[in-house]
Amino acid sequence: MDKAFLIQFSSSLAAVGVLVGLSAWARIGRPARTLDEARARELFFEDFPDRRIDRLWITRDGKGALARSGECALVLMAVGDGFAVRRLSWCQASSAMFKGGVLSIHLGDVAAPRALLAFDNWPPADLAA
Amino acid sequence: MSPDVDPVALAVPFFVLAIVLEIILGRLGRAKANYEPRDTFTSLAMGLGSTTAGLLTGGAIFAASLWVYEHRLFEIPMTAIWAWVALFLLEDMTYYWFHRLAHERRFWWASHVNHHTSQHYNLSTALRQTWTGGVAGTWLLWLPLSLIGFPPAMVAIQKGISLVYQFWIHTEAIGKMPRWFEAVFNTPSHHRVHHARNPRYLDRNYAGVLIIWDRLFGTFQPELAEEPCRYGVVKNLGTFNLLRVAFHEWVAIGRDLATARSLREAAGYLFGPPGWSHDGSRETSHQIRARWAATQPQTVSREAAEATGPTPAARSESRV
Repeated sequence: MDKAFLIQFSSSLAAVGVLVGLSAWARIGRPARTLDEARARELFFEDFPDRRIDRLWITRDGKGALARSGECALVLMAVGDGFAVRRLSWCQASSAMFKGGVLSIHLGDVAAPRALLAFDNWPPADLAA
Repeated sequence: MSPDVDPVALAVPFFVLAIVLEIILGRLGRAKANYEPRDTFTSLAMGLGSTTAGLLTGGAIFAASLWVYEHRLFEIPMTAIWAWVALFLLEDMTYYWFHRLAHERRFWWASHVNHHTSQHYNLSTALRQTWTGGVAGTWLLWLPLSLIGFPPAMVAIQKGISLVYQFWIHTEAIGKMPRWFEAVFNTPSHHRVHHARNPRYLDRNYAGVLIIWDRLFGTFQPELAEEPCRYGVVKNLGTFNLLRVAFHEWVAIGRDLATARSLREAAGYLFGPPGWSHDGSRETSHQIRARWAATQPQTVSREAAEATGPTPAARSESRV
């Protein structure tokens, strides 16, 4: 392998490390804001403006939410200091694995393979209502 | 004939210093700048990977340019100022059409999408570049410049200058530039719109250096104070995994092709607009914009009027 390339690559790698370290030190991500129902609805609306939300559950850490919209489930998950939203069938969501207080939903999307949502229990007690 | 001057390589120290400055100003509260470490790592690692991937295909691309240049129509001297002015305009227009193609057709979007996957808009986002540009073949769009007679080295330098220009516009630290500058050049404000996922802003402002191409070809959208940009893609990524960032749309295309039931469906999934599906179960940017516009008829008609200039009635009123 070309020596100049190796020098350039390793210098760039070092620069990446320094810049990432600097960004971590600076702590200038978006202000941390725990999800509440209003914010969760707002985020769902951005991606699915036509969907009516029948039921909404916010995770206990405020970093995600799950909504029922007819026969669909809408999933909201934190990604860094932002969020990603996905839609799947309600059956998939309701039958997802719940272990150790975490609901693990396989989304079948290579760009968002899995959502991990922290709930006290699942399915929630009020689901049948 | 190979480019002895590589503007991008020369600019790398400037890129690093500018990012350091943006982070420090953000930390001191002197400029608007949000950095999230994993997002920053993803952007910078994508940039590093892009440079490495470019080395694999760069030689073949340059060889193709040389071959075309051997069949050139005119002799264009690399030392003439008029030649550089002409190349600047032609290369920038080529960039506009490359960029538009890269957004409006899925095969090329698959390569370009990762530049848009950050939910942040800062100088590190500028370096979040594709790993698959050579494979996608958009470099073919620049070959006509060599066929006209511009030496490939000259084209490569101009492409580099354009890329370096586009670095500084990836920032929220700069609000608006002077009006004359905003009218002619691509600016942070114009490019924030391009990176936004708000329906109103989708598939707008494709410009490289000059914003005039968007104004000319009907894709210009100013940044509006009443609608702050929300950055990212229509379906934001749920991971920082580099391989998923780099290849997710290619994998998604592969999955769709595997289920296609006809050549027409396969062509739609490959070359249709991103979001196209055979059963209409997904939405393209155009459909998302149309849905949004249907809920905002007054806003849309007002913007259309502003874009086309004052109505005859308004003009006569202004004369009074």
